[in-house]
Amino acid sequence: MLELLGHQILVGLFRSSYYWLIASGLTLIFGVTRVINFAHAAFFVLGGYMALTIDILTGNFWVAIAVATLSVGCIGAVVERGLVKPLYKIESLYQLLITFAVTLIINDASKLIWGAASRSMKLPAELAIPVKLAGRSYPLFFFFVITIAIIVFVALYIAMEKTFWGLKVKSTWRDITMAQALRINTGRIYTTTFFIGSLLAGFGGASMVAFTPVAPGLGDSLIITAFIIVVLAGLGNLFGAYISSIIIGIAESMFLLFTPELDILLIFVIMAAVLMVRPWGLFGER
Amino acid sequence: MAAANRRRFLGTVAAGVVGLAVGGGLGWGLRSPETKEVTVTRERTVTAGGGERTVVSTVTSTVLGPTVTVTREVTARRTLPKDTIKIGVLGIRSGPWATYGTLIEQGAVLAMEEINAAGGILGSKISLAIRDEAADVVKQARELVEAENVDFLVGVDSSGNAMRVGPIMSELNKILVVTHAATHRFTEELVYTQKIKQLFRVSVPVYQDGILAAYVAKDLPVKKWAGINPDYEYGRVSWQFFKDTLSKLRSDVEFVSEQFNKSPGTTDFSPFLSAALGAGAEGIFTVNWALEAVTMHNQMKSLGVYDQVGAVINPMGYSMDVVYELGKDYPTAKHGTWVSGRYVWFYPKTPTNERFVESFRKRWGRYPAYSSETTYTAVYMLKAAIELTGSLDLDTLIRAMEGMVVLSPAGARWIRPDDHQAIYDVPYGKVTHVGGEIPLLTDLVTRSAWEYYRSPPF
Repeated sequence: MLELLGHQILVGLFRSSYYWLIASGLTLIFGVTRVINFAHAAFFVLGGYMALTIDILTGNFWVAIAVATLSVGCIGAVVERGLVKPLYKIESLYQLLITFAVTLIINDASKLIWGAASRSMKLPAELAIPVKLAGRSYPLFFFFVITIAIIVFVALYIAMEKTFWGLKVKSTWRDITMAQALRINTGRIYTTTFFIGSLLAGFGGASMVAFTPVAPGLGDSLIITAFIIVVLAGLGNLFGAYISSIIIGIAESMFLLFTPELDILLIFVIMAAVLMVRPWGLFGER
Repeated sequence: MAAANRRRFLGTVAAGVVGLAVGGGLGWGLRSPETKEVTVTRERTVTAGGGERTVVSTVTSTVLGPTVTVTREVTARRTLPKDTIKIGVLGIRSGPWATYGTLIEQGAVLAMEEINAAGGILGSKISLAIRDEAADVVKQARELVEAENVDFLVGVDSSGNAMRVGPIMSELNKILVVTHAATHRFTEELVYTQKIKQLFRVSVPVYQDGILAAYVAKDLPVKKWAGINPDYEYGRVSWQFFKDTLSKLRSDVEFVSEQFNKSPGTTDFSPFLSAALGAGAEGIFTVNWALEAVTMHNQMKSLGVYDQVGAVINPMGYSMDVVYELGKDYPTAKHGTWVSGRYVWFYPKTPTNERFVESFRKRWGRYPAYSSETTYTAVYMLKAAIELTGSLDLDTLIRAMEGMVVLSPAGARWIRPDDHQAIYDVPYGKVTHVGGEIPLLTDLVTRSAWEYYRSPPF
């Protein structure tokens, strides 16, 4: 039984890491710019598509990840500059609408470019190496994803807490007028945040495409779980989002083992219960 | 006990006679058109009164309905009140399942091109109006009928959408021929119980996915089955049929784990697979399809599940999008990866089918997917009904289609008058790599549809 639980926790941790790669950028963008980026999961899927294409062209998975990550980051920055920026001064509903429009554009553009059928790629040989663990076999990719999730967490922590740039981001988030008075270029902070957030989405999507095929519109179902994680942690709380990714990932995995009938429902029950007790989320500030 | 046995015996004989009568109808459909009657003699072994004996039944079947063959020829020279017959096509054209809309469209377009090139239907040309059923199927169907003035509707991928659009067809008063959505409730509830006569289905219902799959499973050396199925009508019903049928066919099977994944949108199956292995599963049954079927097969391979379980059954596994996507890497289990579809391109080996596969490949560059074949057949079936009656009158056409035998690429389909469901056989087979671009199926499991289709009264 203990072994079984161990396996379930491990796959839950893998799933958490996958969720974190989507949720981290989403919550970072919201935390700083207050924009609910509905297109975030579409960027994630776009990263997968890009990696797939570059992998076909170059035959190198690592180059594919790097190029896909950067291009999605740049697309994110362009979207912010061109479409979202003009809407900062009006109601936030319009920002939500514009990012929803971006989602639709990405979905249909990917259908035009990559076709309506799902596309997948093989795990590169070096990540497909099976690792035997208590009678089961896992691809090395599992541990790779769990590790990169931790690396992303640590890197974001350092960037936010230990650098001057992080300080400027935090001051922009706390009080934008005061930050501007201190001659912080908040416009640039916003664009950079969008760039980094989209970069994370592109990176996540590019890394995961070797395990999960992509299809147009796939992001629409991923964004829901990402929102649950972000809301559970407290909107905009970057580090809380990592913990709530782990909570949701492992909870899902455990529910599947013990109450498979209710696994989809229970995630929403957890969210509702947390929000009733702490409407500002587990780690959010009141 | 004796009474129960007698009832069972009588029940079996009655079922046999009904089966033979309709089988006779099909047989009649397959023979030359000038024959009006057919005699079928078959032996059935039934268990009655504690011992086995053989019952020989002879049934003489009379004409059940008109037989039509899917051909390019125009059979008669009458004219219709309109120059163009417009067919509305509904399929999923956006989101993760968007590829299925394309498959439906390819079948419809091929049929239209062939028919128009050969002179149309009694001189009238066919035109198509294609809509995305994912953008509110009821609205799309209404617009097709009320704004675009289509004469017929074909298609519909999703079972949920079929159940939504079905009930409004009596109000719109147009024939809808469903070519993919598989819930048995469409024909059992909407047609048989609620008597919505405008609805037909030329594709197989979940009897294929759940019931026939159990016949495949019963002969496999696997006792502990786990189900990982999409969490909506199709997944739940198929799993239920599979469990019910297999428990009746074999007493030593166990269903050790049953799970339902979000669909569409499950991208990581590892917790499901881990739980199934944890429960000691020896075989996995899944009706996940499209993107999720590809994901699941790939992840079962990556996670070594294919090395730990003996067999995998995936009723939609020979859908062409999945086959082309997995291609040479389609994983195979020790006792087989058993898959099927709503039509399998190499079955049956008939000139009609070979001609269809050839034309399809020439037109679209790939082997035909099942929903392409079913939609192609639906268009030809409408053509046949119009040519037989020389009319566009709805009631006349419905009467002509009830009991019609369509000799289609997938073989002879009999449109059962009670529930407007096409009765035809589709095999299961074991995924086998023979070196081509896509795997083939071997060890085909074929059973007469009469054996595993549910029959009225439901």
